Amino acid sequence: MRAKSVKWWIYHILVGGFAVLMLYPVIWLLMSSFKPSNTIFTTAQSLIPHPWVWTNFLDGWKGIGGNSFGLFIKNTAVLVILTMIGQIISCSVIAFGFARLEFKGKAFWFAVMLVTLMLPNEVVMVPQYILFSKFGWLNSIKPLVVPGYFGQPFFIFLLVQFIRTIPRELDEAATIDGCNTFSIFSRIIVPLIKPALATIAIFSFYWSWDNLLGPVLYLNSPTKYTVSMALNMFLSNESVSNWGAMFAMSVVTLIPVLVVFFIFQRSVVEGISTSGLKG
Amino acid sequence: MSVQKAEKEIQQNSMSAPVMRPKNKKSKLKKNLEGYAFISPFIIGFLAFTIIPILTSLYLSFTNYNLFSAPHWIGFANYKKLFTDDPRYWHSVRVTLIYVFAGVPLRLAFALLIAMLLNTASRAVGLYRSLFYLPSLIGGSVSVAIMWRNIFGDQGIINLLLKFLGIPVVHWFGNPSAALWMLIFLSIWQFGSSMLIFLAGLKGISKSYYEAASMDGANGWQRFNKITLPMLSPIILFNLVMQTISAFMTFVPAFIISKGTGGPLDGTLLYSLYLFLQGFSFFNMGYASAMAWIMLIFVGILTGFIFLTSKLWVHYESEGGR
Amino acid sequence: MYEKKHPNVKIEPEYATWDDYWKKLSPEAAANQLPDIIQMDPSYITQYANNNQLADLKPYLGKEIDTSDLSQNFLDTGKINGNYYGLSAGGVAVSYQYDPELLKKAGIDSIPENWTWTDYENMAKKAAAAGLYFVDGPGQAPDVEFNYYLRTFGKSLYSKDGKSLGYTDDQLFVDYFKMYAEMVKGKAIPSPDVEAQVKGLEDDPVVKQQSIGIVQWATQMAPLQEAANRPLEITGMPGPNADKGLFIKPSMYWSIANSSKNKSEAAKFVDFLTNNIEANKLMLGDRGVPGSPKVQKALEPLLTPANKQVFEYMAWAQDHSSAYNGPDPSGAGQVITLLTNVSDQIAYGKMKPEEAAKQFRQQANAILATSK
Repeated sequence: MRAKSVKWWIYHILVGGFAVLMLYPVIWLLMSSFKPSNTIFTTAQSLIPHPWVWTNFLDGWKGIGGNSFGLFIKNTAVLVILTMIGQIISCSVIAFGFARLEFKGKAFWFAVMLVTLMLPNEVVMVPQYILFSKFGWLNSIKPLVVPGYFGQPFFIFLLVQFIRTIPRELDEAATIDGCNTFSIFSRIIVPLIKPALATIAIFSFYWSWDNLLGPVLYLNSPTKYTVSMALNMFLSNESVSNWGAMFAMSVVTLIPVLVVFFIFQRSVVEGISTSGLKG
Repeated sequence: MSVQKAEKEIQQNSMSAPVMRPKNKKSKLKKNLEGYAFISPFIIGFLAFTIIPILTSLYLSFTNYNLFSAPHWIGFANYKKLFTDDPRYWHSVRVTLIYVFAGVPLRLAFALLIAMLLNTASRAVGLYRSLFYLPSLIGGSVSVAIMWRNIFGDQGIINLLLKFLGIPVVHWFGNPSAALWMLIFLSIWQFGSSMLIFLAGLKGISKSYYEAASMDGANGWQRFNKITLPMLSPIILFNLVMQTISAFMTFVPAFIISKGTGGPLDGTLLYSLYLFLQGFSFFNMGYASAMAWIMLIFVGILTGFIFLTSKLWVHYESEGGR
Repeated sequence: MYEKKHPNVKIEPEYATWDDYWKKLSPEAAANQLPDIIQMDPSYITQYANNNQLADLKPYLGKEIDTSDLSQNFLDTGKINGNYYGLSAGGVAVSYQYDPELLKKAGIDSIPENWTWTDYENMAKKAAAAGLYFVDGPGQAPDVEFNYYLRTFGKSLYSKDGKSLGYTDDQLFVDYFKMYAEMVKGKAIPSPDVEAQVKGLEDDPVVKQQSIGIVQWATQMAPLQEAANRPLEITGMPGPNADKGLFIKPSMYWSIANSSKNKSEAAKFVDFLTNNIEANKLMLGDRGVPGSPKVQKALEPLLTPANKQVFEYMAWAQDHSSAYNGPDPSGAGQVITLLTNVSDQIAYGKMKPEEAAKQFRQQANAILATSK
């Protein structure tokens, strides 16, 4: 008992201390949002704001150009949730195909999928923009959302790897029980890859929440702007930047991401143990 | 020895799969159809959104396209210039290789270490997990750049720490190789995504292996080496491949830390940043496309190589232990 | 505001930060989807104009766009290859802005109107001795400051046709950058890595009272003043021949996209931005001093003290400057990157000015010759 408690202390001091070290910048960000805008950089070395102010949050929430920051959060939430749903559904279907089914040309298509990740986005950006403009999709969220319904290579590959760690006896047992391929997918595989699905849900949410270049390219009307665009608008080249509001709203935009993380991370951890995968 | 027992069990599990597989009942055609039905969303999306831009960029790499006027075919001139007449290009290649080959292994080792530490049944773990993931959530925004400039500044906390330890102050922003290391630290600091994937993978390893092993007194290292590593190998492969690819593509951190210049003295001029400057600041989109395709070929070969070696070290539970 | 008076026109603004704006503009140009009215920067306008992206404003000048109040010089700043591709949104000139208190602390009473580079160097030494920087140095925008220096010798950074450098004597380069290197070494100018750590106006060395002054565009004085929150002064650049070196350039242009289907409506809006007093009250000199004297007059009572200083300086500059060289040629972006790079190398002591001059000439000429 005693030896264990020493170990326990070592573990928590080590891991906890390390967490604090990793978090220092995050705490810095949080504290800065409570500092008067013009003192953020002059008092950068001290963490504690002096005086504490809330005005940054009020200022920031007012938003830009008469649009409140709440609107930008709403816009982003719509975009992100639509994308997330599309990616989770399409990626799990596609990943099942790649991981479990045997068909001609599988290796080829899998390679093609990986290769699409290897071309720097900067050079496909312009041709893609022209393509979407021919579709008449500019100034809408379609270019940002619709491709999500056709899979996302990172997630597909991730799910493929997870499915491949699941023993095949399960499928075969199900086949003997008369399941067809689709029900093997929906009844056997999907419940078993819940942790992986939760993981991609977190990534998907966060990545499109954080995406800046896509919205900058495709959204023109300020009423359609996303939070990442709005945050940048607090900075200005021509006049004094409203750093306080920018930091405050950065903190505010972290909240939904954190909430989503908390909800899904539990399934990352618990999913398997409740599904009772052998032993 | 229990470890061997566990190993055997792993192997048996994997061996059992092919034995139990039902005989080819379905016709080949039906199998193919089924396979294509499942991956069809990808193929449709690829044909609709991806292939045209990709082929266009290949075509543009043989032209003098400047974004505004119609491109003119100039053959291999862009490629020739890249290989023979652009020292800045080769500099950016060097910077990128250091970034990738130093950053990716460190980041993965770090992520795996933390994931293993957090893979215990302690109540505080949920909290720790979130704390460790937090840095990865604040992403590549402007606030991170500001923060980073503060922390690595001459009076920043890092230099205060160094001073405290009696190490001379490092001018992170004035020294090209220090600046590159600063970028590498930034990438290690945001290890959360790899950690999360490792964690999900670790959770999938059946406890019975470990129980059998520890019952017979296998030590921690043996358990790690004989059970954790092989069982986690598909996930390690995934992280290795993906992190390598994305490290080669890294753009945002270098752009925001150096205010878009790749400075000091091109110390943070990562490949994608130079490509961006060529394409969008200098309006040499044809040239940038050629750069992109060289990158594609190189990373493609590297990834293919990783997959080839993976046959030696990746263990698939579903596919007979290889 | 404009929509109210012209109910048939719907104006949809697009906001973006500088980086985002230019990132967005190139794909829009490539897809022929540019907005009707574009704010163009002098460093990019030639590129867009040469590639037929912008409409020639000539047919609209004196019609939709009222030019009765604008001088020919003002109009000509937007002239490229004989056509008018942009209308200046306001004029700016480069200036030295400083804190008089800090200047006194360094033992300097004042800066004479016709000061010279020798004065500049001497003052810098005094500043360094008092533990202060004197100026930010050319490292941030070497093309602007070096161009000014060249102009005092009757040369310029780019040649008239924009196909090569505008000076042939590398000694000018060597003299100028040697001075810079020595001042960095003597701690009168912060080294580039100190500059790289500056996160925004709020921690600019001038604001933090570490530097006496800074060389920048006159319009940048108002925000600097706001951040510093103490009185600053503005004055001309060192001579000799400062009036040959100084020039007034557009801070920005209003341009009309060639792909626009409503060119004449767009031109009316450009007129509104240029001549309407209410519209200019909103911008209040953010984009430089308006071209129309009538508008200038109307703005005067509204100006903040700092803005007033800027307007006064610009009025002085009007009489103490010579003609603008015109917007940067194609390829300038790449040349500026190159110049910044060699300037940094010199500041870090990694390269001798002589060597840098040669290398810069060779590479810059190659870039300019092939750009279009």
